[in-house]
Amino acid sequence: MPTTALLALIGLSIFVIIFLAMRPQRLQTRAGKVLAFVGFLILPVIALTLGASNHLEHSKTTQFCLSCHEMQPYGQSLYIDDPEYLPAAHFQNKRMPRDFACFSCHTDYTMYGDVNAKLRGLRHLWVHYAGTIPEDIALYTPFQNRECLHCHSGARSFEENDMHVDMLGELEAQEVSCLDCHASVHDVDEVAEQPKWQGPPITGGHR
Amino acid sequence: MSKRLRIASWFLISGLGVEALSLLWNHPLAFVAFIVPGGVLILAGLGLYVWALLSRAPA
Repeated sequence: MPTTALLALIGLSIFVIIFLAMRPQRLQTRAGKVLAFVGFLILPVIALTLGASNHLEHSKTTQFCLSCHEMQPYGQSLYIDDPEYLPAAHFQNKRMPRDFACFSCHTDYTMYGDVNAKLRGLRHLWVHYAGTIPEDIALYTPFQNRECLHCHSGARSFEENDMHVDMLGELEAQEVSCLDCHASVHDVDEVAEQPKWQGPPITGGHR
Repeated sequence: MSKRLRIASWFLISGLGVEALSLLWNHPLAFVAFIVPGGVLILAGLGLYVWALLSRAPA
């Protein structure tokens, strides 16, 4: 739901509550009781649910991820002018939605993957404000081939590569990693010196 | 209007206000503000309203 529509819903809910609170005698009538049920219960529950959904959707955007300064070199690495550089090649060729670039590769494609990714995000927030930011930022667990295969499995360009076909079982079992061959990923120490693609800037996503 | 319902209105209005502000705030802490205090205030308001309903407090 767009933020403006959600704000209108919140405004309506507040209006109904104030409308009833200003004239309590309205609650004596049947219509007043129904209105109170809608204003005090139904609308706030809808606003809370849609608000949580809006925040979660916004937190998937590339701009949101890059709003922490620790992540900015990772954002710059999306613009490296090198077709072999994995994140840049994905970002620049729109192999994922650019507004959701980080989330597209770094969520877990499992039943609770989005929730797990966002819980990790809350942990990042805690470390940012209350903890010690590590010098070398690393993934909690090795990158799972599942995240790559979510899009690439079944794709023509993937399946016409004999090496992929031969190794598919091992890739699915995580016995070998996609990154064993496609190793140029977010090498942020050298990002400043690399030539950059002059593509469109990262924009806001949903809000 | 019962005391519980009056307090519920304050909780709900405050919680919804915080929720609205958090939606306009483009910052990683906006979600935290949405949950605490926004979500907590709304849930407290909802709880008080349901309590007022179930206890058949005079409206």
